[in-house]
Amino acid sequence: MDIGKLSLIELSTAIRERKLSSYEVTKYYIDKCHEKAELNALLEIFDDALDKAKEMDEKIDKGFKGKLAGVPVIIKDNILYKGKIASCSSKFLENYVAQYNADVVTKMLEQGAVIIARANMDEFAMGSSTENSAFGVTKNALDPTRVPGGSSGGSACAVAAGLAPVALGTDTGGSIRQPASYNGVVGIKPTYGRVSRFGVVAFASSIEQVGPITKTVRDNAYMLEVLAGGSEHDETSLKLPVNDYLSEITGSVKGLRVGVLKEIEEAVRGLDCENSYRGAIELLKKNGGEIVEVSIPDFKLTLPCYYIIAPAEATSNLGRFDGVKYSRRSKDAKDIDEIYVKSRSEGFGREVKRRIMLGNFVLSSGYFDAYYNKAKKLQQKLIAEAKEAFKVCDVLLLPTTAGEAFKIGAKDGDPVSMYKEDLFTIMANVLGVPAISVPYGKGKAGMPLGIQLIADSLKEGLIYNVADFIEKQEVK
Amino acid sequence: MQDYDIVIGLEVHSELKTNSKVFCSCANSFGGEPNTHCCPVCVGLPGALPILNKKAVELVIKAGLTMDCEINDLAVFERKNYFYPDLAKAYQISQLVRPICIGGHIDLKDKKVRLNRIHLEEDAGKLVHSTAAIGTLIDYNRGGVPLMELVTEPDISSADEAVEFLTKLRQKLIYAGVAECKMEQGGMRCDVNVSVKKKGSSEFGQRTEMKNLNSFKSVHRAIEYEAKRQIEVLENGGQIVQETRKWDDNHGKSVTMRKKETSSDYRYFPDPDMLAVEIPREDVERIRSTLPLMPDQLKAKFMGEYGLSEYESDILTKDKVLSDYFLETLKHFDNPKEVTNWILTEILNRVKDEESFDIKITPCDLGKLLSLVAEKKVTRTNAKEMLTRIWENGEKITALEKEYGGNVDGDALKALVERIVSSNPKAVEDYRTSDTPEKVFRWFTGQVMKETRGKANAAKAEEFIRELLK
Amino acid sequence: MTKTKITIEEVKRLAGLSALEFSDEELAAFIPEFEQIVELVDEVKNCDIGDAQLAYTSHKLSDCREDQAKPSLPQEEILLNSPKTKKGSFCVPKMLD
Repeated sequence: MDIGKLSLIELSTAIRERKLSSYEVTKYYIDKCHEKAELNALLEIFDDALDKAKEMDEKIDKGFKGKLAGVPVIIKDNILYKGKIASCSSKFLENYVAQYNADVVTKMLEQGAVIIARANMDEFAMGSSTENSAFGVTKNALDPTRVPGGSSGGSACAVAAGLAPVALGTDTGGSIRQPASYNGVVGIKPTYGRVSRFGVVAFASSIEQVGPITKTVRDNAYMLEVLAGGSEHDETSLKLPVNDYLSEITGSVKGLRVGVLKEIEEAVRGLDCENSYRGAIELLKKNGGEIVEVSIPDFKLTLPCYYIIAPAEATSNLGRFDGVKYSRRSKDAKDIDEIYVKSRSEGFGREVKRRIMLGNFVLSSGYFDAYYNKAKKLQQKLIAEAKEAFKVCDVLLLPTTAGEAFKIGAKDGDPVSMYKEDLFTIMANVLGVPAISVPYGKGKAGMPLGIQLIADSLKEGLIYNVADFIEKQEVK
Repeated sequence: MQDYDIVIGLEVHSELKTNSKVFCSCANSFGGEPNTHCCPVCVGLPGALPILNKKAVELVIKAGLTMDCEINDLAVFERKNYFYPDLAKAYQISQLVRPICIGGHIDLKDKKVRLNRIHLEEDAGKLVHSTAAIGTLIDYNRGGVPLMELVTEPDISSADEAVEFLTKLRQKLIYAGVAECKMEQGGMRCDVNVSVKKKGSSEFGQRTEMKNLNSFKSVHRAIEYEAKRQIEVLENGGQIVQETRKWDDNHGKSVTMRKKETSSDYRYFPDPDMLAVEIPREDVERIRSTLPLMPDQLKAKFMGEYGLSEYESDILTKDKVLSDYFLETLKHFDNPKEVTNWILTEILNRVKDEESFDIKITPCDLGKLLSLVAEKKVTRTNAKEMLTRIWENGEKITALEKEYGGNVDGDALKALVERIVSSNPKAVEDYRTSDTPEKVFRWFTGQVMKETRGKANAAKAEEFIRELLK
Repeated sequence: MTKTKITIEEVKRLAGLSALEFSDEELAAFIPEFEQIVELVDEVKNCDIGDAQLAYTSHKLSDCREDQAKPSLPQEEILLNSPKTKKGSFCVPKMLD
């Protein structure tokens, strides 16, 4: 059996049915991780993974039937796994050892997962290319001269390069979907609150979610069933039952009302993504979908709205990294004020500092109403506009990104151009609704592109169904 | 001094009486080895999220109801951002825009002090400033302990009034079971805002703030000092600078605090990790129905129902321990006046520490003791002796009753009375001719008690004496 | 439409709030970038949001956590990542009161 060719679902079935052992599967993937070290997708391969796999084999022999029994998983470096470093790709947390398990880690372990490595990312999930990692950029799985996207670039690259059948990412403004798109894999940002954030190092609490990155849509649905669910450790998690997403994948899009956004019509023209975008619309139309033009009049404000809300929360969330209680403390600090200022100035990278400063700008006295409060009101207006749109369509179809993965270094020194990378993905975060990126079409240089499907809250099953349909039609 | 009005506003922090902390399940208990009542949430570890304690909200509502506050139907929690080592997350979760309670008032003898708000927040950890070699040590055991902050309007005009206000507030919180207000443990702390203005002027003066005063005495002293200082500054043509001053209780003066905090721009914004809390009317009414009688209500009841004087009622309601004790004793001995007399004299005389009211006889035993007196099974004098022995040696009342109780009784008693009457013909004569025969009668009972060392059944003795004197 | 000007003083004020310090060189690079970003977020400042109001996601008081104390983490676990500890406490250089 060629382990690398098996989907997550096939793999977990094979292990449960004892056609494969967790040990051989884990060994296979860990070898791959070592083999492809030059991608710099991973910050650490856990040296106890093979032991855990052996333990899992014994458990499975005794009848354990968890959904992820014996399956190797990679996690993004901002997700806490007790006893392992979680650095958020920051010098500040370079040696920070997690003191407890994130809820998503607990859920995966309960289902028998073997966590084999932690993946590189943009520092504190701030970025769209992993170029902001303190530990070097990750390379695109398909072209080492290009970025893998970000901030979950390591996770997406790892799945695309076959280092694990599934990896976890986090998505604050597109950080799962954009790298998934750049690496030709599938990534979902679930409905806000669908997955517990407990144990995930916070960047922008009110809009971010953990989600799986997988090779196929069905694998993704299977994995989200494991991760989703309310938690007593996260007030903002939704205490609602989790759907059987796989059963919602029907293979048909007949009668589906597909919304295309009036506001991006002009923006898309001439972009690298245009063919993929129009092709996907055509595809759904041909197969019984009904194409509806919808409007979210303030769509273009989602980006600036995000760049107020997210930094505001980030600046406060990152205050706890102060050199007092854990990890980095500047060696030069002589008093408490120097501990704060020097530890933070030495420990944080440029982009993180930029966002902390921006957050303090929009929150500070004299600016709060004009920026933060206005953005929160604008968010409500956008939610109302989206609600109208979802009255006439079932899913919104957008490109995931403007184009294919760019060259490493191409956007150096141009933060705003980097921010605009997230133009199409940010809306789902601001609205709190689920959005998936599924590969469809190629860019000018032959790199993969992604199509993004967005639905109203809790309709993950619906977008999985459409994404699955598109995936099956995509000529590989 | 007479030419000026003093304007005082208070901000009072009280630790709430809950089992667990406000945003995590660590125990809310004072002291302990450093950092042993801590978890990812209250130490601000990465990825930890706050989970609001329902009881803490309910207690703030309860406090508000005792002060006629309006209860907000939606309470929002915000982050107050600043760096300080006792603040694990570099922000304190507090409330600014939509606190749990709005308005309300506490009535003093001569005035009504309006409240601005009561809100719920988390306490900070504790810093221990050790030697230079060791440094400052940080213990987060107290971090995340639920704290209610009450803010008054600037309605208080003297140090005496401030203390009267705090006394009433403390009383209410303790009565309602909201807080224990153990001042010596920092369970109740007070920030004082003071300004002065020319008498009759409607313009407020510049105010100064003194933080974290932890006894009523220092509040009183700090206000007196600060008002005097401000008046002196103004009288000398100076100006008051708006600032935070530190009250130095040892030297009895306030000094400008080091301008350490470069900014007091706290950048409050709603905590994105938390949901706002809907407080439905039914919940408020449910909580209201659990409120015990407040001191003012109890006082009215004591005066009206039990016929106690205002003075007596005031003392009994001064502390919940005392009024509870009184009410409990009544269950065993239903004579409010008599119970009051005993508590106000015999009990309070024996209480050493007015803070803790450590009463070393149970209400049940006191009730029994008073019953024995009423039934004349023991004399008042002996009852007091019995009380002392219970108080000091923890002796059992049943044993003491045997020792002191009316064990000279029946025929023996009758014989004794006959002997005393027959050997005092002069007194018998006096009784029959005197204008005040009761006085003579009491002399006879006194003789009986003396002979029996108080162990005669007093009721019986009186009966025999009367019979023989007829 | 007013363009928000970012002065050195402003950046220093924000650095103070952020507990960050920048060298003059860093500042020179920082300010023009920051101005660009502020120009982006100014689109929100200058937009028309009609009568849109703030809204709060909420839950009922009865949905809040019950007041039950549970075991805490052991002290050594709490202090695990601390750069400096003494006597079971986190430790920083001696502060003035």
